[in-house]
Amino acid sequence: MKPSLKHFFDSMDAYLAGPPGAEGLSKLSAAHPGWDVAPERMAIYGQFVRGHVRSTLEKLFPLTRGAVTAPVWDALVEGYTRTRPARHHELNRIGEAFAPFVADAAGEQALPPFLPALARFEWTDFAVFASEEVIPARVEQLTPNPTLAVLEQPYRLCAFVRSEDRGARPAAGDELALLWRHPERLVTYYMEATPPALLVLKMAVEGLSEDAVAQATGMAAPAVHAEVVRFAADGLVLRPG
Amino acid sequence: MSPRYSHRHGLKPLGAGIGLRRDFYEALPRTSRALDWVEIIPENFLSLGGRPQRALDACRERWTLLPHGVGLNIGGPDALDDDYVTRLAALVKRLDAPFFSDHLCYSRLGGVHLHDLLPLPFTEAAVEHVVPRVREVMARVERPFLLENPSYYAAMPGGTLQEADFLRQVVEGADCGLLLDVNNVWVNAKNHGYDPRAFVDALPLERVVQVHLAGHDVGDRVLIDTHGDRVCEDVWALYRYTLERTGPVSTLIEWDQAIPSLDAVLDEADQARGVLAEVSR
Repeated sequence: MKPSLKHFFDSMDAYLAGPPGAEGLSKLSAAHPGWDVAPERMAIYGQFVRGHVRSTLEKLFPLTRGAVTAPVWDALVEGYTRTRPARHHELNRIGEAFAPFVADAAGEQALPPFLPALARFEWTDFAVFASEEVIPARVEQLTPNPTLAVLEQPYRLCAFVRSEDRGARPAAGDELALLWRHPERLVTYYMEATPPALLVLKMAVEGLSEDAVAQATGMAAPAVHAEVVRFAADGLVLRPG
Repeated sequence: MSPRYSHRHGLKPLGAGIGLRRDFYEALPRTSRALDWVEIIPENFLSLGGRPQRALDACRERWTLLPHGVGLNIGGPDALDDDYVTRLAALVKRLDAPFFSDHLCYSRLGGVHLHDLLPLPFTEAAVEHVVPRVREVMARVERPFLLENPSYYAAMPGGTLQEADFLRQVVEGADCGLLLDVNNVWVNAKNHGYDPRAFVDALPLERVVQVHLAGHDVGDRVLIDTHGDRVCEDVWALYRYTLERTGPVSTLIEWDQAIPSLDAVLDEADQARGVLAEVSR
């Protein structure tokens, strides 16, 4: 690459990596003596590039955004934008590191204590929805849904996310959340792990038969079967046939 | 004038198409309306499973699909993204797409994806930089490749070439096709004060394999290429002017913001199909 072209890219990189405002535009212009450019025209590019980070975060993290005031949200977005998080060609991956960022920020400023966990939940919701894991159309034995993600979290986020009361706050309390993509509907399902759900997952992971589980647990065989059918209908596990 | 790029590669005009966008994942595969082909943004399908893949497969059963990328970064300083190009090549082959395309721009700096299409300076140095990268992409994907003329709001510093000359030198140097975005020509002509028809005349029209049409926003002092409205009458007129010189070429209606009903987008495709029919007579 010719030095002139490298100089151009370096100057644009410095402009786009810097904070919005006139100072960055002045430095960019000064890097190219004789360049007759209207600052408001160049500002369009800065607005576009930074705007993609904001719009992507606001699409992926609506509950996290709604749990803080607008100034706090703006500060989170601006701080995250400065980390230059767009490291993948797929736009939504901009949000991949947002939950850890919120966790770090929570140690430095007064954020709701549940915010990091909520951000992680929202990212996982998307990651499961868009997972590249292929859900097989047929299986030979009871099989866990390959998109399944498990979150251990100190708040009851499943109930909070399901609630339509956006003024509420999630209750504190340990929760094991299961998230997976429904095989037919192709949307993310989630639930707080319950003993029946964990039992059916254990059967799928360890290849346990319904009869063996009935004998080992003392449950009636039809009851075990009913749980398998229920969680297969929800797509948590995949059944043969 | 050299032989037409499309003839050399056995590419036939496909008619009028629209883009597969998330809003249409369910409705588009089931439409009973006329539609000749479908364009996809490969970045939406390279690493996303689930609904996008189902929509892609359903459309593939009915139409020719043409990948039109936004993330190749053909003009950028970073090396081509090996994972991206590998996945793109696999997608193009999976779809059996007759050709694929991206923009003559850069979209990544220092490993950071800009998720936008930034203009290059119109210089010989940029031509020398881009041409071998285009050749590398074509060699890896093994299909004909088109570069699109992007919209731009400011001419980059150090320019020594006219925009049309810059486009010509790149596509001729790389021996690739040209995806002529007629709306971009109109937007650029208005924003930079030149004659859009003279610009079209100055292009290597024998390399035009596809045309894009879209709407734009009219601001106080600048037009913005939003793809967020119907195609305006001036752009339809410039489209007709272009087709009278190129003959019929595959034409896409782009609508990416403020997306209306599927029928509204297909209405625009019908209008493009009508113009294609007229110039074919």
